[in-house]
Amino acid sequence: MFGAATFHAAMAEVVVGSMMLATLCAVGCAIATIFPNIAGGRLSSERVMVTMDKASIAGALLGLVFMPIAALSGSFAADNVVNNALLYNKFVYTGLAFGFWASFVIGRVRLGPGVWQHRSLSALQGATAAMAMLMTTMASSIGGKLVRGESLFDIMPIWLPSDSATVLNPILSAVLLLVGIAALVVVFRLGPRAERISLD
Amino acid sequence: MRSRTTVLIVIALLFATSASVANPGGEGDADRDYTCGGSCHGDPALSSPSDGIVTVSVDPLAFSGTAMAVHVTASGMSLSGNRLLGVFLLSSVSGNDDHPEDHGWNILQDPNGGTRNYVEIVVPPSGSVTLTWVMLAPEQSGIQTLFTEIHHGSNPNSNNWAYSAFTRGYVVDVQPVPENLPGFAFDWTPETRVTGDDSPTVIRTRNTTSVSVQWMLEGEWVPHDAEVTSEGDEWHAMLPATIGDTRIQYQVTTSNGDFSIVQPWLTVATEPAAFDGEIWGARMQALAFGLLVMAFLLSLQARLSPWEGRPEINHTEEVEAAETPPEPPGLESADDYWSRLIPSEDNPGWLWDPVEEEWVADPNNPPEGGE
Repeated sequence: MFGAATFHAAMAEVVVGSMMLATLCAVGCAIATIFPNIAGGRLSSERVMVTMDKASIAGALLGLVFMPIAALSGSFAADNVVNNALLYNKFVYTGLAFGFWASFVIGRVRLGPGVWQHRSLSALQGATAAMAMLMTTMASSIGGKLVRGESLFDIMPIWLPSDSATVLNPILSAVLLLVGIAALVVVFRLGPRAERISLD
Repeated sequence: MRSRTTVLIVIALLFATSASVANPGGEGDADRDYTCGGSCHGDPALSSPSDGIVTVSVDPLAFSGTAMAVHVTASGMSLSGNRLLGVFLLSSVSGNDDHPEDHGWNILQDPNGGTRNYVEIVVPPSGSVTLTWVMLAPEQSGIQTLFTEIHHGSNPNSNNWAYSAFTRGYVVDVQPVPENLPGFAFDWTPETRVTGDDSPTVIRTRNTTSVSVQWMLEGEWVPHDAEVTSEGDEWHAMLPATIGDTRIQYQVTTSNGDFSIVQPWLTVATEPAAFDGEIWGARMQALAFGLLVMAFLLSLQARLSPWEGRPEINHTEEVEAAETPPEPPGLESADDYWSRLIPSEDNPGWLWDPVEEEWVADPNNPPEGGE
């Protein structure tokens, strides 16, 4: 048998690995759309675009499936106790990463591969993937800080706040949760229906 | 050429991972035997002698049950990038039952404010550090021996070795305590305060009729007197709150008329305030943030996507306007033209155009003669 911490480490590696692939491909698609002549137009060729699009959605879906497993196993590894700001922020960054990745996947599925033909939508998808990756790496780097006392982010210029946490009152969190659910209902039911973009 | 460069970069990155070693961030303060019980750091294939110098300062004579200080100074070590140093205080080096408490000692305070025999500390840039353990001597009188050991990393450390140094045994002769000697209660240990807490520090004593306390910030030379109140053998010393990284040291003098004993300097152990978050709050907050981000991004996607009925792409009016070109300037519509013509009784079949000042044949009543 193995402990929850070992299982969590394995799941986190699956999530980060597949998300990294998804991010690289999504950002590649966005760059190819915005700057079609980059790399002599090879990046924006149909073959490369189709490959990157499929890799990004596959990576994001795989990561999204494994993310709840990683989060739950991490929670068990910490004995379901949050006793410091780092651990609290790990939860918060995981939630944010989930929101960004879910938005990326839903956007790609609803709008279809034609999403990369629109500059503004393409830029939005690329930025969403980049932000999602930032949140994912923050959550995983906090894991490194907790277990080994160090992280690759120590040598990176980017390090989002993690040593101190903004702990919301659970009632306020519950209200925000309801607001989030209501906002999603409005977006899906009452808002304009996003349609699949037909390919040229 | 480019692919070859890429392959070389990838290989270089893979080799760079070998610079990482197990537990480079240390394992934290703990109660440990010699070389962690003969594990990794005791293996000759995984360790090497340290180039540091370790000296121990301890009073060779102690009275049983009284407080005494052990000062360990380590200097001149080659350290790893994080400058972490692990220091053991031991009573034997057999690999088990090496903890001083296994030999009757009672650690009142370790250098980090806890009660451990192994502590980790970041060595300052000067390369020298002095650590002090305050212990109660064993109640059983006799000869005791104390050892210290250090271990650390190095930079570079291509073999991933642990570097360790070990001191000779320092002998302490524990004598029976004189009758009525004032001191700390056997079961007393300094309490840990939360940052910002200025509640009185509790000191418990035995054979003591009066207590005085002096305190100073670490690095200061002149101590300050603290106000002390008593409740039997329990004394309350008013020490200032610890803020930030500052460390407050205090020294207790226990007296009873016959003796006056100046105890070793202690440190006010401070820990951060207890974290007030809990797991379900964290889960709920995370999910709420995630859903809000989703709602925002999905509405942004809908706003930017070409959905049916979107005002920006309904160009019907513009197209219709483009299909009917505007009349050239000066060209009037037929209705306007005929409405301005005035019929005349004198000239039946003719209409007068006041703008052009000419007669126009009335199409509804053509003039006689077909003119």
